[in-house]
Amino acid sequence: MCADKTFDPDVVIVGSGVAGALIAKQLGLAGRKVLMLEAGAEMPADVDEYMNRFFMASAKVPEIPYTPDLFTNRKLTDPKTVNAGRPTVLSLDKDNWLKPEESYLIQDGKKVPFGSTYERINGGTVRHWLGTSLRFVPNDFEMHKRYGRFVDWPLRYDSDDKNISLKAWYAEAEKEIGVSADVKDQQHLGITFDQKYPMPAIPLSLVDTSISDGIADLKHDDILLQVRSTPAGRNSQPYQNRRACAGNTNCIPICPIQAKYDPSVTLADALRTGNVKILYRTVANEVVVDVNGRVREIKYIQYKEDKGPATGRDSVSAKVYVLAANAIETPRLLLMSMGRKGVANSSGLVGKNLMDHPLYLAWALMPEGKPVYPYRGPLSTAGIEDLRDGKFRSERAAFRIEIGNEGWNFPIGDPNTTTLDFINGINISHLNDGPRGQALFGHDLVTKLNSVLTRQFRLGFLVEQSPDESNQVTLSNKFTDRLGLPRPQITYDLSDYTKKGMAEAKRVATLIFDRLGATEFTKARPNDPSQFEWPVGSGQRIDFYGSGHIVGTYRMGTDRSNSVVNADQRSWDHDNLYLVGSGTFPTVATANPTLTLAALSLRTAEKINQALTLR
Amino acid sequence: MSDLEHEKQGPIAQDTNEQAMMPLTRRTILTGAAATAAAAVGSVGAQAAPLTPNQQTDKQLDLFLELSAVLTGVAKAKLAPGVDPIKIKLEYFAQAKKEHAFAQLLDLFSRNRNAPNVGDIICNKSEPNVRFLARSVMLMWYLGAWYDPKDLRRLADSQKPEDEKVFPVIISPKAYTQGWVWRVAQTHPMGASEWTFGHWANKPPTLDSFIKSA
Repeated sequence: MCADKTFDPDVVIVGSGVAGALIAKQLGLAGRKVLMLEAGAEMPADVDEYMNRFFMASAKVPEIPYTPDLFTNRKLTDPKTVNAGRPTVLSLDKDNWLKPEESYLIQDGKKVPFGSTYERINGGTVRHWLGTSLRFVPNDFEMHKRYGRFVDWPLRYDSDDKNISLKAWYAEAEKEIGVSADVKDQQHLGITFDQKYPMPAIPLSLVDTSISDGIADLKHDDILLQVRSTPAGRNSQPYQNRRACAGNTNCIPICPIQAKYDPSVTLADALRTGNVKILYRTVANEVVVDVNGRVREIKYIQYKEDKGPATGRDSVSAKVYVLAANAIETPRLLLMSMGRKGVANSSGLVGKNLMDHPLYLAWALMPEGKPVYPYRGPLSTAGIEDLRDGKFRSERAAFRIEIGNEGWNFPIGDPNTTTLDFINGINISHLNDGPRGQALFGHDLVTKLNSVLTRQFRLGFLVEQSPDESNQVTLSNKFTDRLGLPRPQITYDLSDYTKKGMAEAKRVATLIFDRLGATEFTKARPNDPSQFEWPVGSGQRIDFYGSGHIVGTYRMGTDRSNSVVNADQRSWDHDNLYLVGSGTFPTVATANPTLTLAALSLRTAEKINQALTLR
Repeated sequence: MSDLEHEKQGPIAQDTNEQAMMPLTRRTILTGAAATAAAAVGSVGAQAAPLTPNQQTDKQLDLFLELSAVLTGVAKAKLAPGVDPIKIKLEYFAQAKKEHAFAQLLDLFSRNRNAPNVGDIICNKSEPNVRFLARSVMLMWYLGAWYDPKDLRRLADSQKPEDEKVFPVIISPKAYTQGWVWRVAQTHPMGASEWTFGHWANKPPTLDSFIKSA
């Protein structure tokens, strides 16, 4: 069934997301033959198809351009009818997350919901990423050594031993992605640079500068809080044949002009080498290991329609195999292999230590007469990074603070919710202090909406989640997808370490709002399971969201007993098998994971190329 | 429909429903930005076959636009410029006309159009059928979406509107990009910026420049 039996690949890569695409491109450039297996659909001819779905969707959630069959008659599609299912924002909400006929992920409701999503499509989840391209801080790699918590990575930010130093690989990843930032803004918390970013920083928004001016000299725990420009995989000038950002305020779900990097850029480069081929709608369903402990082949199932029958089954062999299918689908594939005995799992750690950045969201209104003109610019252009590291990490989770440029779009679905409030005399936004039932219209409506919408802003706190073995991906014994493959079952909770970090985030949010003279409107969503009581017994609840940063389920480490892969992301158990993507992170730290996983992927591409040369 | 077929059909479909179904192309977005420029050189749209053969309909449309300006607070010439290749007004008019209370709404407006409190009479003091339809019309101009008047009534009557589910329908890709809420917030629709790199570092144009006629 392999489209072209004469194509004899050196390397098979499962997944065409950012990790798989970067590795395919590097190996293709080195003259290696690469076959990629992508579970989802190919790219449309142009982005109009994606944009139309976005424009027409009443809920403009991250997955909306990429998943055409989310609904049938206002009901979510049953994942057992879909060949390449995936979690979606709508299927994970409070009314749906426990219903296997609506939610692809199976969760039992005993703990808190796992609230993050991913894509199964060309380019993977980084199709809908924000673009944030922060490097980790050096101490992120040494949580055990510095703070007596969790484990250290087998790599360092910078080291005299160049083989374990990631610094140069970060620079390579920044070039591949096309990151806009200024070194002078990014040298903090021990991060150092040997070279410039490929493009200058993206200008701060009026939201950013208003906060920056308003919190001048503000300290928390003796740490000065400063607004910094965020490095972004978005063009501040033409780069890689793509335009400069026009500020569409739409990085998630889709940049209409592709000023934001997405992996289709790298995939196109990979295909241009002439050495890379991609099979779409091709779901890897088994990694087969031979008696010598080497991977012999990968079996796959193909289909033509999202909800149509399987159209073929076959397998493909190569010298090296790379699984790049994200931190839920990769462990799922490993666990379902060899008659569900599993592959690469002598440590027993495959699927364990599932992490995310539980996100604390806080929103407020600037004082009357002090508009910040949100809903303009990229979704986020700056953050407060000073609390990403410090002594406190021995006691509680660290976090970074992302400043949003999209008003209250994320928290309450604005500008729609507030508009509906004033036009229909209701008060879901809590902004409508007029008489109940009375509509505003005409001049008063314009003035009121302008006054509130131009003063809205929000902060997102990305909290470092502790690695806990009990947070894990396993296989459902009961529920399958359309191809008959077991769906992922998730067990997920927040530790006290993580909760303490979230509680601190909540305090810092209020501290910042108070200093700005802003009125806080943060509210826990009513009757939503994505929250916890803190302090226990206080009756106060802290609400959290998923960040889509799925991490940790096949961690790297220093030996085969404490990890699934080594520093090269090579399986300890099978020396021709590599597992890539953020699943290898032993700890999640506080930076959005894409840049780091891209750096690791580029490093691994070099290791694979060396291994192929030595054969 | 491919881009090429779209080109052949021209920018304006005869049937407003068909127009609503049209895929959005770059052309549609550009039409918005270029409307003024197009007017200067004589637009294809302005010369296309008339869409409303019936003069009664013309009159109704004009009344509908006048009412829309009163309700939205946006100048009629901004809602529907004289030379108007975007013609969102036709999609909205067709949508509103489907409602039974539409004639009643227009009638109430035409009888009170000179009253100083005409907006209040329509949005707050009229009978529910008319009142909630008027609110649907306002929301359509602001958000490019149709909120069923019955849903609005249910929301308004609910003790807990936040727990009520509503299913607004985006009228067309073009309708989303033409939403007035973005202009009232002195910005562009999310996903359809007509501005260039770095504009977000500076103050936007004034509110009046968005919503008032020159």
